[in-house]
Amino acid sequence: MARRPPSLQTRLLATLAVLLLVAAGVAAWALESLYRDLGLRARQDVLEAQVIALIASADLAGEGTLQPETLAEPRLATPGSGLYAEIADARGEVGWRSPSAVGSGLALEAAPPPGERVFQRLQLPDGTRLLALSLGIRWSLEDGSDRDFVIRAAESLEPWYDEVGRVRAWLLSASALMALLLLAGLAVALRIALRPLHRLEAEIGDIEAGRSELLGRSWPRELDGVTGNLNALLAGERKRLERYRTTLGNLAHSLKTPLAAMRSLIEHGRLDERRALAPHLDRMHGIVHHQLKRAVFGASGATVTDLPVQEPLEQLRGALQKVYADKRVDCALRVAADAAYPMDQGDFLELAGNLMDNAHKYCQRQVAVRATPWTSAEWRRPGLVLDVEDDGKGIPPAERRRVLERGARADETVAGQGIGLSVAREIATAYSGTVEIGESMIGGARVSVRLPGR
Amino acid sequence: MRLLVVEDEPALRETLAQQFRDAGFAVDLAADGIEGEYAGAEFPIDVAVVDLGLPGRSGLDAIRAWRTAGHAFPVLILTARDSWQEKVAGLDAGADDYVTKPFRFEEVLARVQALLRRSGGWSQPLLSSGAIELDTRSQEVRVDGEPVELTAFEYRLLEYLMLRAGQVVSKTELTEKLYEQDFERDSNTIEVFIGRLRRKLDPDGSRQPIETLRGRGYRIVRD
Repeated sequence: MARRPPSLQTRLLATLAVLLLVAAGVAAWALESLYRDLGLRARQDVLEAQVIALIASADLAGEGTLQPETLAEPRLATPGSGLYAEIADARGEVGWRSPSAVGSGLALEAAPPPGERVFQRLQLPDGTRLLALSLGIRWSLEDGSDRDFVIRAAESLEPWYDEVGRVRAWLLSASALMALLLLAGLAVALRIALRPLHRLEAEIGDIEAGRSELLGRSWPRELDGVTGNLNALLAGERKRLERYRTTLGNLAHSLKTPLAAMRSLIEHGRLDERRALAPHLDRMHGIVHHQLKRAVFGASGATVTDLPVQEPLEQLRGALQKVYADKRVDCALRVAADAAYPMDQGDFLELAGNLMDNAHKYCQRQVAVRATPWTSAEWRRPGLVLDVEDDGKGIPPAERRRVLERGARADETVAGQGIGLSVAREIATAYSGTVEIGESMIGGARVSVRLPGR
Repeated sequence: MRLLVVEDEPALRETLAQQFRDAGFAVDLAADGIEGEYAGAEFPIDVAVVDLGLPGRSGLDAIRAWRTAGHAFPVLILTARDSWQEKVAGLDAGADDYVTKPFRFEEVLARVQALLRRSGGWSQPLLSSGAIELDTRSQEVRVDGEPVELTAFEYRLLEYLMLRAGQVVSKTELTEKLYEQDFERDSNTIEVFIGRLRRKLDPDGSRQPIETLRGRGYRIVRD
């Protein structure tokens, strides 16, 4: 069994979940980097302040060493406090080191020239990570000479790293929570958005079960096309079904009379009365012919694609040229290049074939067929006007209605001939079109079929 | 006139064959499309009546095959589906006219005769050459307006020559066209019938309506 493709909801949610996780991760990472950046700068500022405080309190001691007179910062006096400082001379000899650095194994080597500073990140032997600042200074002695020193301060980054870790954990959990909430919200939104589809499913189920005939009105704009077409299809099918039912009923009823007559002829008639069966057979043929002609055309409407009419009209002309070869009919086709109509090809051939056949039958020498698009601002797809004219005797105004309706009733006797126009009218009606009979410029009848657009 | 009937329904096929024979045709029969296509391509037929719904190979395919192979004899199609789609398909494939089922034989015969006339270049059912007039509908022959009694075979012979008026028709062609496939052929009988025809159409020998072209055949003058 082929696996069922995952539901639309699953597809959407899975895709969104991945996207959201990536987005949340990126957001957390960006926030964390920003936080680290700002934090590091703040640490640098602290170190600079420490160094400046040291300079402020420093003074030359004997043998040319520089050392602070007092320690304003108590952490410098506490061993292992995490804040360290030292002062070295130009040769790199450390003249003073803060008590906090005792036994820490601190080894700062940067020796920038006076006026410059160097930030460093290093690690103590016990693994403590430090940020260090070395600042070169020039000290003016009372005798007018200068001496260069380097003042260094370092601070443990461990508390800051701990903080960064906490912030990262918090950021991650916050973004994960946000992603989850968004996902849940989307799931709810999807359910709401897809509700019309569930409704559609339910309504189609109702139609299947025979509880309703058509889909309800008022659908979201996105579904309007589908539901509209579906309704048109359903209506078309229903019409067709009704036509079939009527046809079958008419057929059954109208065949009964000639059948009964034939039966009595067979049972009671003499052998030489066999010929009397013929008219009944003819009548039955007429009935079958007429009813089937009216029932077979498609007219499913919405599902049919545009049929360009040039080719079928040319085929019909070719066919009729053969059938009416003796008459040498001059049949002029004038088809606009874009003349097309959403119609079943068989229906169109039947419609145009009946009209053109009539025209060939009743004309003297000339038949003219014209197909033009019929446009209106209200239609997205244009309609079609088909005019078929001949130079025969024409159809008197009084006859016109009757000709179009001939054979419309089932119990009317109809020979094979003469129902062409009424068949054409029935096909046109099935496509919501009309058939009008008028007078032709070339002398005979003009039959105009107008099929509206949509 | 030699006619091919391609029809799968045996009762209809036999009835048609009998009725066409009664009307003076030499009739060949085929029960399906394959047989029909072969017969149309191989026998010297003048006209074919083809049912469209055939087993094996459709009537449309058979007609197409004949036309592709260059056989130009007229074809009348019989179709049960009375739709223009079906008619157009048949006429497009190369058929010349159609009759829908059920039909009266008279209608089929009239269509076949019209097709034969047309293929001989006549546009009217009344054929004429000089004083001779032949009505293909009533099968009556008149000379100077006076009816002439002909036997069925004589009529067929004259009709064939009249339909091909202006052309030379050989004795072989006449035997082929006027007798059916399995018939014992003897071209001398044609000479005998031509002789009888001449006597009936031209008792005093003043008109000579049928020319003899030695070694080539016979010809009736076209007006």
